[in-house]
Amino acid sequence: MRWWGKRDAELERELRSDLELEEEEQREHGLSAEEARHAARRAFGNEALIREQTREAWGWTKLERLLQDLRHAQRRLLRSPGFTIACVLILVIGMGATTAIFSLVNAVLLRPLPFPNSDRLVWVSQQDHSLPGVAQESLSYPDYFDWRAENHTLDGIASYVGATGTLDLKGESQRMEIQTVSSNFFRVLGVAPMLGRDFSWEEEKPGNRAVMLSYSFWQSEFGAEPGIVGRPITMNGHSYTVAGVMPKGFEFPVENPAPVLWKSIADEAEGKSPTTQQRGFDTLGMIARLRPGVTVAQAKADLSVIAGNLARQYPEDNKQYSSALVEPELAHMMGDTRPTLRVLFGAVSLVLLLVCANVAGLLLARGSRRGAEFALRTAIGASRAAIIRQLLIESLLLSLCGGGAGIALAFGLIQVLLKLMPVEIPRMENASIDGGVLVFVLVVSVVTGLLFGAFPALRLSRTEPARALCEGGRSLAGGRAQHRLHNSLVVAETAIGMVLLIGAGLLMRSFLRILDVNPGFDPKHVLTSRVAVPFDETKHNQHYLFYQQLVERISALPGVQSASAGWPLPMSSSSATVSFNIQGRPVAKGDEPSESLGLAMPRYFETMRIPLIAGRTFGEQDGLTGPPTIIVNQAFVGKYFPHENPIGQHIQVRVGDDLFEYPVREIVGVVGNIKRKGLTADFDPQYYLPYAQGLITNPYLVVRTNRDPAVMQAAIGVAVHQLDKNVPVYQASTLEQYLYKSAAQPRFQAFLLSCFAVIALALAAIGFYGLLSYMVVQRTLEIGLRMALGAQRGDVLRMIVLRGLTLALVGVGLGVAASVMLTRLISGMLFEVGSTDPVTFAATAALLLLVSVAASSAPAFRASRLDPMKTLRVQ
Amino acid sequence: MTRKQARQRVNVLQGTLDMLILRTLLYGPAHGHQIGKHIQRTTNDFLQMQHGSLYPALHRLERRGWVSTKWEAAPDRNREFKYYRLTEKGRKQLVVEESQWKQMAEAVARVMWPAVEEG
Repeated sequence: MRWWGKRDAELERELRSDLELEEEEQREHGLSAEEARHAARRAFGNEALIREQTREAWGWTKLERLLQDLRHAQRRLLRSPGFTIACVLILVIGMGATTAIFSLVNAVLLRPLPFPNSDRLVWVSQQDHSLPGVAQESLSYPDYFDWRAENHTLDGIASYVGATGTLDLKGESQRMEIQTVSSNFFRVLGVAPMLGRDFSWEEEKPGNRAVMLSYSFWQSEFGAEPGIVGRPITMNGHSYTVAGVMPKGFEFPVENPAPVLWKSIADEAEGKSPTTQQRGFDTLGMIARLRPGVTVAQAKADLSVIAGNLARQYPEDNKQYSSALVEPELAHMMGDTRPTLRVLFGAVSLVLLLVCANVAGLLLARGSRRGAEFALRTAIGASRAAIIRQLLIESLLLSLCGGGAGIALAFGLIQVLLKLMPVEIPRMENASIDGGVLVFVLVVSVVTGLLFGAFPALRLSRTEPARALCEGGRSLAGGRAQHRLHNSLVVAETAIGMVLLIGAGLLMRSFLRILDVNPGFDPKHVLTSRVAVPFDETKHNQHYLFYQQLVERISALPGVQSASAGWPLPMSSSSATVSFNIQGRPVAKGDEPSESLGLAMPRYFETMRIPLIAGRTFGEQDGLTGPPTIIVNQAFVGKYFPHENPIGQHIQVRVGDDLFEYPVREIVGVVGNIKRKGLTADFDPQYYLPYAQGLITNPYLVVRTNRDPAVMQAAIGVAVHQLDKNVPVYQASTLEQYLYKSAAQPRFQAFLLSCFAVIALALAAIGFYGLLSYMVVQRTLEIGLRMALGAQRGDVLRMIVLRGLTLALVGVGLGVAASVMLTRLISGMLFEVGSTDPVTFAATAALLLLVSVAASSAPAFRASRLDPMKTLRVQ
Repeated sequence: MTRKQARQRVNVLQGTLDMLILRTLLYGPAHGHQIGKHIQRTTNDFLQMQHGSLYPALHRLERRGWVSTKWEAAPDRNREFKYYRLTEKGRKQLVVEESQWKQMAEAVARVMWPAVEEG
């Protein structure tokens, strides 16, 4: 800057000295001092132009001019702090919201998976052809081994399945989430352990139990002790060798809570009937790495051939799984979240557009007050381009300020969003302002700056100098075309606001509908938790006895109405579908129907308040040695016994005391349907076995209390530890929390879109207020004249408000049209509400019109208070 | 006339002006006012330029290193002026421009007055 200043000064000196010389010479020719000066100036020409052109000869002037324009813009903005603060505030809201949502989108959808060549990682599954559409089914170990051996398109395919491990940690047994993985799991992902060694193939065989620790688990439980490698640890009562420790940040599958360790499949291969030999036991998730150059479609075709062969070879287990499903891992992982994030991003973009329109309106109103300034600059030789550049630099400066402050706001917003967001969205907790987000903010700032700056700049630069100068301070520059632009900005704001409000309204209505759903049980005051009782098939009696005693003890606690246990808890993620056959309806073995299985201890239905429709519920007689019984729900009856009395019918389910003995069970009762997976899911057929006769997993304790259930939790823990102080209690929660979580997604969507809608409404109101205030100021003379000629205050009031209302009506009309097209995009998120729900549309339109009238009334009132004499005199 | 053509014409004129300035400086160092006056006088006021338009050209020549500058007191006036002086590079440039100009002038002349050539 100094450099240029010095050069400028020197040029100034040069011009001055030469000009003076010319003047002197003219005087020597006999002209008067005055005449000499004029003559010299004439001979010299346009000084400003000379300076400009000379500077151009120096080079670098573009940068210099930019700096100059920037300085000028800064001065202009500082000179009207109110306007600047208003613009920046509006921009900060828009940019902050956009940045926050974008950083979520970035973390969840855009960042690649943290594995080498992650684009070649694919999710693999088999297609269940007994169901309509794409229906995935996990693989069994025998299937997996065949796929692994016979494929020609994969560099590797690994299995993983969630499990739980009870570990003795710091003198207390704790239940942790773990994964059971094939030996090539880490090699397929392309990540080597940071300490120790990878799993070997030997560790898939019986007796070679091994585990790989996660970095954080190694840190927290083993004090980052490198010597842990090679040592045994005890889990679920068995000894496992620690093979190694994975590097920091390694996480797969991405789940909440994250797995603390991975164990090899050696223990799955042990025992009388190892899971590694059960072809019908479909539980495995698959991650595979494509060979270089192989497409997803090729891999799918390749694996489908294998699946087809297996279906022919083992019809009993594989008949309906005759083809494979392959998807890029990232795409599969993001499956459900994609539409949500897309809609959020779309909504926030609309907010930003609204912000642009708003700021453009402000710039336009202010710009017309600067008509004289531009006219003057044009008159002294500024080109239209120069004026446009100046205006654009001002708006860019504004938008960059907004972007910068928006980042700060986004920091806070991200934290809030992460708190509110349902946890089911993977990778979201990594959302942060990283380089990508910064680039995004910069690009958005520039684009918005150009967007909201361009219209006013193009408009204002068209000022005719002579006219504008004549009109001087009367700020009439721009004229009709400018009004038209301003009007259309306000109409656009209304339309965009309308779209956002309708979207939010639809989601809100849908959310309220969800809350209205009767889940089929009474979730109030019910406490649930699980107890990690070790599973040992040889000790079924003790296992069941433990639960019997526990439920008895808990029932006796003061404040407990009733207690029981069952599995799965509705709205929890656990579920199982098991095939069965109805006696007297023979089907081929591979064609057996399968439905969702439930397990219940006595008083389970009473405690949950699931209504009994016919027959009886489970009692003490349905114990370990009692006759095999079963209870079905109404949907089950509707599907399998539509015209018969289900009570007394017999069903054989592929679950029993021992995995290979399937007793024939008598239906003893029919209970009401419950929402099993979520409030928006359909009621589906379900059957229940007495827990004593189907000990396959630890059940959920359900305790109905008289008082605040949270207070009871400690008492339940005490009751458990009185029986056995070594079993950990986990997943303690209330049924209402499960219900709350199941509605978390729609609640979040409705909440966030409502926030956007409120912002939109406020911005639209500001837009109206701004336009009409401006109009009143501009038409002061006209209004004064009208009033002088006899117009009543009411007439003036009506004129202004009507103007606002007309614009609002046009905006609402356009908004409705746009909404009809756009709300289709969120129809997948709506529950029992049409995407063109007339109630929502009508209410939104009414709200917007109301707001526009309210926003117009203040300027209108001001106009009606004008003193005609005063205005006419001033003007 | 397209914008490009317009720019070309300006360039020709600018080039010519550069040559005239360099030629003027062959007589010795001079300040802007003197250069302008000299060109105007020697062309019998044919090139009636506003002195001001010289400065961009002078600064351009300086940037290219064809002239050097120094603030010096004028012999007849009691104050300093910015004097431009031809550099070695400028001298060479003048030769180049002169020959180019000559070529062009001859070419134009051959078109305009073919008989002269015959005679």
